[in-house]
Amino acid sequence: MSKYAFWPGCVAQGAAPELYTSTLAVAEHLGMDLVELEAAACTGAGIISDGEPYLQDVLNARTLAMSEQMDLPLMDICSTCVGVHRLAAEKFRDVDYRIRINHHLAPEGLEYRGTVDPRHLLWILLEDVGIDKINSMVKRPLEELNLGPFYGCYLVRPERTLDFDANPTRRDSLEQLIEILGATSVTYDGMTKCCGFPILTMNKKNSLTMAGTHLDEAQSKGADALVTPCPLCHLNLDAQQPDAAKVIDRNLNLPILHVPQLLGLAMGLEPETLGLTRHVVDTNRLLNKIGA
Amino acid sequence: MAQQEFIIQRYNPDTDESYEESFNVDVQPGQTVLDSLNAIKWEQDGTLSFRMSCRHAICGSCAMKVNGQSMLSCQTQVDAAAERGDPIRVGPQGNQHVIKDLVVDVEKFLLQFERAETWLEPYEDQDPPEREYRQKVEEFDHWSHASTCIHCGACYSDCTVAAVDENFLGPAALAKAYRFVMDSRDSKREERLQFLSEEQGGIWDCTRCYMCVQACPKDVLPMDAIMELRTLAIEAGHVNNHGVRHHKGFMSGVRKRGRLDEMMLPVQSVGIGRLLTGNLAAHKEMMDYTPGAIRLLKSRKLLTIAQRHGANAEGREQIERIFEEVEAEKHHHDVDAEAFGAEFETAIGGH
Repeated sequence: MSKYAFWPGCVAQGAAPELYTSTLAVAEHLGMDLVELEAAACTGAGIISDGEPYLQDVLNARTLAMSEQMDLPLMDICSTCVGVHRLAAEKFRDVDYRIRINHHLAPEGLEYRGTVDPRHLLWILLEDVGIDKINSMVKRPLEELNLGPFYGCYLVRPERTLDFDANPTRRDSLEQLIEILGATSVTYDGMTKCCGFPILTMNKKNSLTMAGTHLDEAQSKGADALVTPCPLCHLNLDAQQPDAAKVIDRNLNLPILHVPQLLGLAMGLEPETLGLTRHVVDTNRLLNKIGA
Repeated sequence: MAQQEFIIQRYNPDTDESYEESFNVDVQPGQTVLDSLNAIKWEQDGTLSFRMSCRHAICGSCAMKVNGQSMLSCQTQVDAAAERGDPIRVGPQGNQHVIKDLVVDVEKFLLQFERAETWLEPYEDQDPPEREYRQKVEEFDHWSHASTCIHCGACYSDCTVAAVDENFLGPAALAKAYRFVMDSRDSKREERLQFLSEEQGGIWDCTRCYMCVQACPKDVLPMDAIMELRTLAIEAGHVNNHGVRHHKGFMSGVRKRGRLDEMMLPVQSVGIGRLLTGNLAAHKEMMDYTPGAIRLLKSRKLLTIAQRHGANAEGREQIERIFEEVEAEKHHHDVDAEAFGAEFETAIGGH
C-alpha cells in the first residue's frame, strides 16, 4: 500500500469540504494510505509573505520537516499549497538559510534536511498510481463529457520549480487525466490563467472579471464543466459564479469539479459521497449526462 | 532542411480585418522564430509587419506571442517552439492595441513608467560626489535583477491583471519602481512606497499569478519585486488598505488555529475598525459579500466551528511559539538597524 504524508490545506477543511471528503473516498478506493499532517500550519498562500516572508518560510519548513521525519512523500491537494511548498523547498536549498530556519524547528525535535519533493494528488495519480491502474478502475467512462481543465497558477508557473523536464507528464497533467477517464478535454485560453481569487477582497471587479471571462470562454467552447486541482480557484469559479456572471453580463451555468470528484465519478463512486451536492452551481445536469 | 508551418495572426488596419494566415518556411537547425518571420517577409509576403532591431535579445523590440506565450522572437528557436510537428502560432502582444499584424501600440505600456516616475531622484541637498554616485556591491546584488529590464513588454502582454484593468501599473513599471526604492542614491523612497501602496492599480492589485516571471526574457522577476515592495510598504507604515488588512487578518487566523479562517477574512479585509466607526463604504462592501455567504450556506459548504479542523493542540502551541520567536527576532533586528542608522548618520554628519 502506498503511503503519503497528506497536507489537506485550509480550504478543503473550510469552504470546500467536498474536496476533503472526495479525496479520502478516492484514496481509499485506490488503496492509498494518507497520514494527515494534523499539527502542520497553513502554507501562508503567499499572503503571510506579503509582510512576513521569513515567517511563512519557517511555517513551511516545519511542514516539509514533518514529512521528512515520517520518511513519506508529501501530498498536497491544492495548486496553491503545492506551489508555495515547492517555492519554499527551492529557497531551502541554500544551506545557510536552512540552518537559520531550522533554529525555529529544533525545539519540537524537527530539522529540515532538504529532501522533500512536494507533489499534488494530480501528479501522484499519473506518476505513482499510473495510467494502467487508473484505467483498470474506470467503471463509469465519461465519454459523454467535454471538460475544460483549470490548473491554478502554481501548478503551471513558475516552471523552474515544477521539474517539467524530468517529469513531462506534469506539463499537461490535467488534460491527460481527463482523457484517461474517457472524457474530451476542451482547450481554451483561460485554462492556465488566474481565477482572480487572490484579489477578491482587494479588487472584486477585477477578480470576478477574470473568473467570468474564463468561465464564459470555456462554456462557449462547449465545456460541460471545468475540472480544477485548486480549491481557491473552485471558490471563485463555483461559489462566485453568479456574481461573476453579473460582472461580465453573461449567462453562466458551468459546474466546477475538484480532481478527486472527477476520478471518483469515473470509478463509480456515488455523487453524494463525492460531495457533488455541495456545490453552488448545480451538478445534476452533468450527472444525468453520465447516468450517475 | 525541414519545413515548418507558421500560423500568423494578422490585422489589416485599412480594411479593419483580422485573420490567420499560414506560411511554410524552410528552417535550418538553430533558426529563430524572428529569422523565419524575416524569411516570410523577404520571400513570400512583403506586407507582413513586425518590429525588430538587434536580433540579440537586448533591444526588446521583437517581443510577441509564440504559441500563446509572450517572448522575444529573436531568442526563440524554431526547434524549441515546434511541438510534435504542430504549426507554430505567432501573434501580437496581448493587452495592447494592435496597429498592424504583429505591431502593437506600446504607448500605454510606456506610460506606466511615467506614472511611477521610474528615474533617479538624487538628494538635492547634497553636493554631487567628486567622481560618481556609488552603490554598495551587496546592496546592488540584492536588487540587480530588477535593473536588467529591456522594456520589451512581454510581462505586460501576459499580465492577468492588465488584461482586465487598464489602470494597473503592470509588472515592468512596478519592478522598475522597486529598483529605485532599493537604490540608496534615490531620495524619494518614502514617497514612492506611499504612491505604490495608495495608487489605484498599484502593488496590491497583483494576483501573484507568476505570468510575468515566466514571460520575462531577462529574469527581472517582476512579481518577486512587487512582493518585496509590499513588505517594504508595510514596514514603512502604509497599512490603511484592503491588501494589508487582508494580510493581517490572514495572519491572525493562522496564529489562532494554524489555518486560514476564511469566514472572518472578508470582515477583516473590509476592516473591523472601519465598520465600527460607521464607514459607509465599508458597510456597502460588507453588503456585497452577503449574497455569496448565503449561497455558501445554501449549498451546505459552510461547516460549523466544531466541524472545521484547525491544527491539533500540539501544533497550535508550536505555531504560536514560532510566531513569537519570529516577532522577537524581527524586533531585535529593528533595534540593531536603528542603532546602526544613528551611528551611520553621525558618521556622515547627518543627512
